[in-house]
Amino acid sequence: MTKQKNPFRSFFTSVYLTITLLVFTVVLSIIGTFIPQQDAARGFAQGMPPGLASFLQTMQVFDLFHSVWFFLLMLLLSLNLIVCSLNRWPLTWKQFRGAPSSGEEGLFRGLSPERIFLCDEDVGTMTGRIEGFLGRKYRKIGKTQEKEDAVIICGEKGRYSRFAVYVVHMSVQLLILGALMGAFWGWEGYVNIGEGEKADAIDLKGGKGTKALPFTIRCDKFMVSFYENGAPKTYRSDLTFLKDGKTIYQGPLLVNHPVSLEGVQVYQASYGSSPDGRASLAISRGGQEGKIIKVGPGESFSLPGKEGTVQIVRLEENLMQMGPAVKILVRSGQGEVSFWIFLHIDKIREMNPGVTEQVPMFNPALFKPYLFVLKGIEERYYTGLQVSRDPGAPLVAAAAVLMMVGLIGTFFSSHRRIWIKIQPAGEKTRISVAARTNKHPVVLEREVRQLTEQIKISLEKGST
Amino acid sequence: MTNTMILSWVTFLYFGAFVFYLFCLVFRKEFWGKGAFYTVIGGLVAHTVGLLLRWQESYALGIGHAPLSNFYESLIFFAWAVVVLYVIVEWRIKNRSLGVFVLPVAFLLMAFASLAPNISDRIQPLVPALQSNWLTSHVVTCFMGYAAFTVAFAIGIMYFLRNIPLFGFIPEGDILDELLYQNTVLGFVFLTLGIMTGSVWAHYAWGSYWSWDPKETWSLITWLIYAVMLHARYVRGWKGKRMAVLAIIGFAAVLFTYLGVNYLPGLHSYLQS
Repeated sequence: MTKQKNPFRSFFTSVYLTITLLVFTVVLSIIGTFIPQQDAARGFAQGMPPGLASFLQTMQVFDLFHSVWFFLLMLLLSLNLIVCSLNRWPLTWKQFRGAPSSGEEGLFRGLSPERIFLCDEDVGTMTGRIEGFLGRKYRKIGKTQEKEDAVIICGEKGRYSRFAVYVVHMSVQLLILGALMGAFWGWEGYVNIGEGEKADAIDLKGGKGTKALPFTIRCDKFMVSFYENGAPKTYRSDLTFLKDGKTIYQGPLLVNHPVSLEGVQVYQASYGSSPDGRASLAISRGGQEGKIIKVGPGESFSLPGKEGTVQIVRLEENLMQMGPAVKILVRSGQGEVSFWIFLHIDKIREMNPGVTEQVPMFNPALFKPYLFVLKGIEERYYTGLQVSRDPGAPLVAAAAVLMMVGLIGTFFSSHRRIWIKIQPAGEKTRISVAARTNKHPVVLEREVRQLTEQIKISLEKGST
Repeated sequence: MTNTMILSWVTFLYFGAFVFYLFCLVFRKEFWGKGAFYTVIGGLVAHTVGLLLRWQESYALGIGHAPLSNFYESLIFFAWAVVVLYVIVEWRIKNRSLGVFVLPVAFLLMAFASLAPNISDRIQPLVPALQSNWLTSHVVTCFMGYAAFTVAFAIGIMYFLRNIPLFGFIPEGDILDELLYQNTVLGFVFLTLGIMTGSVWAHYAWGSYWSWDPKETWSLITWLIYAVMLHARYVRGWKGKRMAVLAIIGFAAVLFTYLGVNYLPGLHSYLQS
């Protein structure tokens, strides 16, 4: 029977193809780490001649890991794996199903001298003893009667490890599938929400527009604490998730502890303070202490003596390296006047004597008979959330588990088979040990040595 | 801090052990071999004590975490893993020649950690993203992998030197080949685990199990190189010199993954400490 060679099949079963594809993947990945990708590529491309930049853009060099080239490589690798696995499967299955006793022709031919030895015990005694030894470490112990009163005892171990390499390759397939699912149906983006505010859409990564969320996120509170060296220690947001006006989930969100809701993952990614905090202003009229009012930018209030209104025009956390300050605009019958009120006005005066006289804009008592004192600026934080959905992630996780199981089976287990022939040799009995394995011959060699040692030691003990 | 003092002394112990291994091979006297081995063991014990003390001191500072969080600590742990693996290999093959090639690596890592001016040996508090149990499992598995690849690399170098008369002490090719293969497999399994634990952590901390950050990409490149190496052996039966060449190429990729990527444009800036 002649088997027609399918050119498609023989191309995809070649290991050279696998190695070529893996090398291509390596080369493409190296390029991808040296040429800035995605968002980082924009600045990089601006420094190039526009023709070259647009050519590279068309060739998808600025997003190599999501490019047609990469998909093509993964697709070919996938096909290569499937065809190779299918091609080798019948042989593996045959070997797996093979009877434990069947060894190939000439199994006992050309054995090394230490694997053949003579003893005084008869065949029956030795058969029983060796069966006992073999049974301790091996499974499927079998016994066959051969010609000339010879007996062959066989045992084996690790039959299932023949499948291990298929498990590894299946896990790679699953990984590629999961990654593709993530690339096609997943998305990732960011949203900043100020304390007390809500968001129901996010900005997609890479400037790909916005995406509406299946729920609304409200940031109720944001807290951050710092180490002595100024690095953030912990930060968390207290969030409420709403759908159709109803709360569906409420709880804190911390770094490393995402919230998963309706297939969408929400992560604590960053934070910042918004410029629209509130200022605490103390107003004294003619040296008489007044009450403290809290106002935000753009807000107005009336002066206690009804001379006019005050509006907060600007609020700076650090104006000209002199600390927090607010700029107010006083509207009165005399017209409009605007000036800055610094938190650290006393210190500024100390450092620059006479500054409030030289620069009236910095004089908190510019509008007489009032004196404005800035007591503080309440920072208003916003929380930076990363929101993503990846329907492929469970597949990738399953692939990881499979891969580990497969790798352990591939590297640390093998199908080891041992045959021990016990035959009469004149007055004595000859014992020959043969063994086969599908991989890791060194491991098998060690096991056979241990087994023969064990048999020899038992002989010495038996004779004394 | 006591721990950094102990660890800088360990550097000298490893250097001493290296010198003793050299003496052992030059004078062919078991005296030096024993001396070298006991020096390594002494160094390893002190190294372990130093690491544990550092761990304890971090708790005393109120910022307790396993000593695996910055560049200094990673170098120290890398050296520790290399020496642990070396001791196991020497004990198993009963041959001391590998020490001449592995101990200098451990010594250089320790010396680099202690002496490089821009590496801070202070115990630093963890930023929120690093406050995760995955940090420990990720760093331990990755560096066990790196250590195994380092030993495989040293064996690869030995493979090329063994025909030079001066290096007549190197064991025969078959033993080296098997050792190189075993260490590569060990490294591959640990690197796989390292990438996986890193992915799980990234999934919880960064919102994506894989984001093609240069470090991630280079760990994949390293993984692929060793995957090619293992396929070449299993399917094409590559042995000896070719495997030695691949072990050296693979180690270059390991070094780039560990150190080189810091010079590439990356997004995950809060990894840089």
